[in-house]
Amino acid sequence: MRGNYTVNSGVRFRMLTDDQLQELYDGVLHVLEYTGLEVHHEESLEILKKAGAWVDGNRVRIPSYLVRKSLELAPRSFTVFSRDGNPENNIHIGPGRAHFGPGPTCPNFIDVETMDRRPYIKSDVPNVAKVVDALPNVDFCESLGTVNDVHHDLGALYEFAGMFPNTSKPIVAWSYDKYDSAGIHEIAVAEAGGQKAFERRPNYIHYCEPLSPLVSTGEALDKLIFAAKHRIPLIFTPCPIAGGTAPVTAAGIIIQGAAESWMGLTIAQALQPGLPFIMGGVFSVMDMSSMILSYGAPELSLMMAGLTELAHFAGLPLWQTGGCTDSKTFDEQAIIEGSLSVYFSALTGGDLTHDVGYTESAMTGSVFQLTAMDEAIGYARRITRGIEVNEDTMAVDVINNVGPNGHYLREEHTRRHYKTEFWYPNICDRRNYEEWEEEGKKTMKDRTYARVQDILATHKPSPIKPETEKVIDKVLSEAEERVKNS
Amino acid sequence: MSEILSELSTAVIEGNLDDIVDLTEDALDEDFSAQDILDKGLMPGMDHVGVEFKAGNMFVPEVLRSARAMQSSMELIRPMLVASGVKMVGKVLLGTVKGDLHDIGKNLVGMMCEGAGFDVHDIGKDIEPDAFVAAVKEFEPDVIGMSALLTTTMRSMEHTIKALEEAGLRDKVKIMIGGAPVTQAFSDQIGADGYASNAASAAELAKKFVA
Repeated sequence: MRGNYTVNSGVRFRMLTDDQLQELYDGVLHVLEYTGLEVHHEESLEILKKAGAWVDGNRVRIPSYLVRKSLELAPRSFTVFSRDGNPENNIHIGPGRAHFGPGPTCPNFIDVETMDRRPYIKSDVPNVAKVVDALPNVDFCESLGTVNDVHHDLGALYEFAGMFPNTSKPIVAWSYDKYDSAGIHEIAVAEAGGQKAFERRPNYIHYCEPLSPLVSTGEALDKLIFAAKHRIPLIFTPCPIAGGTAPVTAAGIIIQGAAESWMGLTIAQALQPGLPFIMGGVFSVMDMSSMILSYGAPELSLMMAGLTELAHFAGLPLWQTGGCTDSKTFDEQAIIEGSLSVYFSALTGGDLTHDVGYTESAMTGSVFQLTAMDEAIGYARRITRGIEVNEDTMAVDVINNVGPNGHYLREEHTRRHYKTEFWYPNICDRRNYEEWEEEGKKTMKDRTYARVQDILATHKPSPIKPETEKVIDKVLSEAEERVKNS
Repeated sequence: MSEILSELSTAVIEGNLDDIVDLTEDALDEDFSAQDILDKGLMPGMDHVGVEFKAGNMFVPEVLRSARAMQSSMELIRPMLVASGVKMVGKVLLGTVKGDLHDIGKNLVGMMCEGAGFDVHDIGKDIEPDAFVAAVKEFEPDVIGMSALLTTTMRSMEHTIKALEEAGLRDKVKIMIGGAPVTQAFSDQIGADGYASNAASAAELAKKFVA
């Protein structure tokens, strides 16, 4: 019997102290109260005014009590459910749980057969979803691209329609406008069995993006209001660029970006108290030489770590970022940048890490990068799972039994633990030189390519209901009708 | 070359906002023409900045400071250049097209073009085709630069080009476009004159257009 025993079972990282986080938190409240944001949306202005915000034309300032109240209303822990009831694909958001998945809207894609870069097209969507569905360490789905070969206004709808039947992992649905949002929701609700059933077990997350610095656009708020009214878990994720559209310093960009996100929070909680709200987003630097928003910079990981800690301090989950790269191809740079950010992200316990599989600074999506990062996530998860210390794992008796000069291979203790205590790679190669040579001296790139081909040829995602298929057809044909003259 | 002109070049390269105005005045006092100050003082400095930026030895904030230094000097000599009928490098009209509020890239293009010696007129973001037409009539640019970040809004570029055609202005300007989803193929498709993938190459493209 032992009392008051402190356990660190997993590896976690803590960068800022409570004092520093309080200071950042107060900074956000200060910006919201004294500087305010521009809100380009009449209905939102009304909602904000009614809730107690100070509205002056398009400029909205929020008194700090109202922000604190909104933070209080939003849950820290909730579940997003798989569409088919498979509990393994549910996402439980809560302290200490880091999840991973791809990102949206790259204009280009690495062709799954030729590995050449080309525009992203409709037929890429099911392939990305299938790969997501099959990879053990990828938890949610986004499409890795903007569909180029359909009507420009319908890219997001075709994305969702292509993903939904091909993975039962929850989708984070990006969209252009409220029409997309309505179409997407109709499909998800059909599968869930109606709006009431959806509210009890939401099967996707709604994504919208304000503009930096300090603007909430009409489209973003149209979508936010749609999500709030239909009780769809909501991500409100700015993409500020340090040195460009946000302060150059990490603390500064965190404060500005959090203010942008909490404007959305305030509107959403005023409209739908308790709506699951996930704070965003992608915070990185403008490379002062190439002028790109860098997806491979160490500052991305650092800023996202600070933002994660602020979100958790404020009681919100975070839309983290990692597994992405500025590299144009599947090379050493891609793997270094992707793996380190994945690992760092896992250490912060950021709740949903997206953009896994982005290459070329978010210009090109790649299932090869995604598949390699699945391996890196598995690796990182083994580390963050940590070391368990108890009577069984300490194995003092086993050591005594085996004694000097013995071995542990035959021990029951070994048999019982070796599968869970050790992590086994899918792509990394650990064989000896001769075996490797015999197999054709395959590189990491070769093996990743082979794994993708294998998944696409053999993986069968669980099907959606036949009636949902009909709803998808209906939603798409109605949408085509709506835009045919534009 | 005279010492004062070379000091002006150095002031541009160093982005020396404190001294550039005094140096310009000194050069004028020494009876250098505005044309000399521009061609032999400011432009060689900016050309050097361009080379160093491309080589990765200078960075965006330094380039922008150099451009500001050049602008400070230009404010003094511009009236003289205009009075003596000297042709400036050219005029660039910039705007983010209708429906799009993303403008950091367009702002960078503006600053880079100013650094290249252009007279830049930025009409902002979410700009209707008709507003582009009106601005072209008023400002008479040599080059128009349009930007968009979204695949849904980049079609406004095509509408803007059509509006310029209808107004009979298309032949009077070169049109360059840019933004994350924009490509050379899209530029060809909608009948723009060129595409640039970043702000520095946009400024170079504009220079080519007016050369």
